Amino acid sequence: MKQEKFSFTFTCYAIILPTLALLFTFIYLPVGWAFSRSLYDFEIGSESRFVGLGNFREYLFSDPTFWPSMLHMGALTFFLVCVRLTIPLVVAKLIHSLSTEKSRYVYRTIFLAPIVVPGVALQLIWMNLVYSDAGLLNETLRMIGLADFTQGWLTNPDTALLAIMVIGFPFVSGIDVLIYYAGLSSIPEDVNESCALEGCVGIRKFFRIDVPLVLSQLKLILILTIINGLQAFENVYILTEGGPGYETTVPGLWMYYNAFKFQRMGYACAIGVVLFLMILTLTIINIKYFRSAEEVKEGA
Amino acid sequence: MSKRRIFKYSTLALILIWGFFKLLPEREEAAVNSDQEAPSPAKRDVKHVIKFAPGNQYTPGVSLFGMSEPLEGLTKVIRKYEERHPDTRIEVFNVPTVQREYLVTQLSSGAAPDIVKVNVEDVWVDVHKNWYVPLDTFLEQPNPYVVEKGDPDLPGARQWWDMFRYQALTRGKAGPDGKYYCYTLDAVETGIFYNKTLFGQLGLEVPQTMTEFFYVAETIKKNGYIPLIAVLQSYADWGVDLIFDQLYYELLPGIDLVKDPTREAYLQGYLDSEEIAFLHSKGFFTKEDPRFLEKWRLLKQLRQYLAQEMNVRSGQERQFINQQAAMVWLPSTLTYRLVADKNLGFEWGVFYFPMVDEAVSEMASNTPACVIGGAATQFEVTNSAVSDTDPHLPFEERMEQSERLKRVIGFLQFLSLPENAELVTNENPRFIPNIVGVEPLPELEPFEKILERRYTTTKWLNTFDLRFFDVLQRMFALYLEDGATLEELVSWMDDNISASSELFENRKGIDWESLEKRWQELAPAREGMTFLPKPLQENPAL
Amino acid sequence: MRRPRYQNVLLHAILIVLASLTLTPFLFTANNIFRTKKEFDQSFFSFPDAFEGLIKVSALYLTGNDDQVEVVDGFGAKEIVSRDEAFGLYIDYAQQGPSKAWSVLRPFMQNSFLVSICTAIGVCLVGSSTAYILSRYRFIGREMVFLSILSTMMFPAVLTLVPSFLLVKELGLLNSYWAMILPYIASGQVIAIFVFRSFFAGLPEELFESARIDGAGHLGIYLNIILPLSKPVFSVVIIMNVLYTWNQFLWPFIVNTDGSKHVIASGLFIMARSQEAQDFGLMFAAYSISSIPLLVLFIYATRPFMRGITSGALKA
Repeated sequence: MKQEKFSFTFTCYAIILPTLALLFTFIYLPVGWAFSRSLYDFEIGSESRFVGLGNFREYLFSDPTFWPSMLHMGALTFFLVCVRLTIPLVVAKLIHSLSTEKSRYVYRTIFLAPIVVPGVALQLIWMNLVYSDAGLLNETLRMIGLADFTQGWLTNPDTALLAIMVIGFPFVSGIDVLIYYAGLSSIPEDVNESCALEGCVGIRKFFRIDVPLVLSQLKLILILTIINGLQAFENVYILTEGGPGYETTVPGLWMYYNAFKFQRMGYACAIGVVLFLMILTLTIINIKYFRSAEEVKEGA
Repeated sequence: MSKRRIFKYSTLALILIWGFFKLLPEREEAAVNSDQEAPSPAKRDVKHVIKFAPGNQYTPGVSLFGMSEPLEGLTKVIRKYEERHPDTRIEVFNVPTVQREYLVTQLSSGAAPDIVKVNVEDVWVDVHKNWYVPLDTFLEQPNPYVVEKGDPDLPGARQWWDMFRYQALTRGKAGPDGKYYCYTLDAVETGIFYNKTLFGQLGLEVPQTMTEFFYVAETIKKNGYIPLIAVLQSYADWGVDLIFDQLYYELLPGIDLVKDPTREAYLQGYLDSEEIAFLHSKGFFTKEDPRFLEKWRLLKQLRQYLAQEMNVRSGQERQFINQQAAMVWLPSTLTYRLVADKNLGFEWGVFYFPMVDEAVSEMASNTPACVIGGAATQFEVTNSAVSDTDPHLPFEERMEQSERLKRVIGFLQFLSLPENAELVTNENPRFIPNIVGVEPLPELEPFEKILERRYTTTKWLNTFDLRFFDVLQRMFALYLEDGATLEELVSWMDDNISASSELFENRKGIDWESLEKRWQELAPAREGMTFLPKPLQENPAL
Repeated sequence: MRRPRYQNVLLHAILIVLASLTLTPFLFTANNIFRTKKEFDQSFFSFPDAFEGLIKVSALYLTGNDDQVEVVDGFGAKEIVSRDEAFGLYIDYAQQGPSKAWSVLRPFMQNSFLVSICTAIGVCLVGSSTAYILSRYRFIGREMVFLSILSTMMFPAVLTLVPSFLLVKELGLLNSYWAMILPYIASGQVIAIFVFRSFFAGLPEELFESARIDGAGHLGIYLNIILPLSKPVFSVVIIMNVLYTWNQFLWPFIVNTDGSKHVIASGLFIMARSQEAQDFGLMFAAYSISSIPLLVLFIYATRPFMRGITSGALKA
């Protein structure tokens, strides 16, 4: 009996072994390294030097990009959260309100279609086609006689951050709409009917019935957006490289530059650790705060 | 329904099969290879596969400005070399070597191409890591491919060095450790291309001084054209150095502290990192330094005549070609674009950056603008070239033992033969050849003239490490776009120089004492100099 | 629920406006594929010259006119040729950008396919087998294992970017497909395990029970029960994974130090920073070509994908 149990456990572990091996090699080991290397000053190809918490002290207290980049990161994330929690939901609701199944399907397909364009290509298309000096935006302004408002959208310090945010306008493409749509579809028909009977329709119904019922989707997207927003820097790297000046630099980008451009690997690891702690804190708050919503969902 | 399904899946199958065959390597390529007289690589007994990243400007197959026939000059030379050495194959890679991070990851992994094209200033930061092979010993030896021609008077028969046309320029590329890490194939110079036709219509002359330039630019602007297109990255590089030189040249006798005999031939009075660091400690390049403030002010004054969008990574010349802009400041490479265009619709010419005169700035040195271009295509040999030796040996021994390195150097020597260099540099008019016996193409004559000027007093961007570079370029850009005030910029620069000097001192050491001694010796020369930093103005010996 | 007609019209109007705003950049991109660098120098927005030429020549064919036609080539040189030749020339100009882009992108495309397919297969295999064990069996340390998988969600990619590079370098995997595939599987499996687990946990226990009584082992259960029942979940996992892999550009950009194993995304980025970027037509063609494989996937897999998501595979 004991042997059977042992062999059962053994088989279970044998099957999940690949998962565990991959996790430890490619996630836990690098994470451990990140923490230990953040205490060193080292560049590839030279000796490393133990500096204790020196990297953290330098980053938190004397790095001139620290506060501006945190601010940019916050602004970008906040904007993303606001946008992704509202617009796709409204659009999903609009689609859901259409009368025929066929038209619903068509619109869902249309709004999903842009995901076939690779992210890099999307950024480059916006950079070259919309924001360049002879791009869509400037040409449109010239056409309607507002030539004075034309500018280098990504190089003007006043507009660069905004220009990065606005990419993807009107923010309805992608999976978000589908996820909300799925939430709306799962609302039982009798709920809808009893609402209608009570005269609860339109905007009132939207806020009182629909929004609470898609809370679990909202929560998922909120967490994902925050985590992504705090670490995203690829888009900034492609579009402005953090410029002009450091007006669009975000911490992730600064980490990347320190690692691969300035060759300060230890310093880069320290920035990574700081970001990790921030994300961790926010995630914990998030989970705690939304506990009640979770219960609502389970109750429903 | 089932019919629809059959249709659906058969189309999918067709798409997949079509895609699969599209993805397979093209047949034509193989055909082209076997066309050549050289036996196909597979048949040869290849011992060394050399990876070569010649940079965008020469990569075979690249179509310049989206209009030329694909480049093939380098391919021809490679074929000839492979014919001579059947045991060697040279593979060309098109990697964006301008990307700094790319280079770092390549070299740290030891998987870089054997020959890369990088501006040698970018290399200097890493030379102490043995990432690059110093070429001194080879340059001092005869070039074997010249020797075998039998004529002892040919350049290169005694020393490979003798084959270079611009000696000073080439030797000036020595690293701070005095060694040569780059092979300079050709030279380039910047110039301001202007629309002759438009200048004629507006009754404008080519400006010689900054005052004239401002007048020209103002007239062009009033007539609704963009006066000048300059790319941000270049403006931060060339613009900053040129104006600096224009303002500080007259001070040089009093502030040039280190004389470097190996580089002096070309870099007369060049201010190196430690000199900049020392001068900074004396109050130069701070808010106390009136010339430093004047430099940024002038650059900003010029900014109002530049195109609105400066951060153009591609197609900078577009507005010049479609005649929205009257001038464009670019390297000589643009010549090809203009020559190749059969219906350009206007005449064009080239002039050089005008001199800053006293009407524009009272601190002007009144000397013609210096050269800021110079070596164009610089090939570095990386540590991959000695990868066939034991990595635990000292680097010098590895260099001696390596067979692969001999092949790599051999290729560069082979490329130096005039008949080979000509195939590459003179395929079209973009660069001025740096090999004796290869004449520049006639279209490049104005640039050849410009290259006769003296060289710049310093190259700011390359003074310290890459972080210094990054801060300088970014804050300057921000200042130009009104995102930072002059005070903010100067304060950033002040901190930047301090931090970089400190790092430089920690890493390589600065001999403060001897610099101070030399500084005291030069005190008489500084007597009577005007617009020195405030404390110095009162006591030049300080 | 019946709605008034005008309300439906209004809904359509709003949605159409939104859809056209979303699609505008892509429509311009599609138009620009067929334009040459020369045309961009003259004007940034216009109909491709080659198409205009083709329409002109077609008109000649339709009217039976066989006059000579003047054709302007990429360098701006004019030549007078017969209408057949003109037709061929214009076709040539139109496909210049796409064919050049394809010759640059082809190796990237091969690598992208290889990496995405291997990763998707790996994630499905590893993820579903682990999820099967975790969801259907109680064994010593199950909670621990589950927690260790769960907690990796907290580690952001930025934390591991630099050390992962060092690790891959130490393992000697730089410039190989493994440098991409293995880390992708390692990180991709986590979400897959969640999705699979919640789905497998919802399957009725009787199925497994009867299979076990019939003497089926783990493999038998996996093949006969799990696989046939979980097609929609698999399709969601595969599609999400392919989307993720296809879009990664920074990691391939860093680990392919010799440039031989670039994938579409990193290849595009490199193109955008090189000499080729000056040729807008080429670049726009490259953007479009890079979207084609996913477009095909999209056309054939939207329905199962939507069904999978609508069935609630993604919930917090």
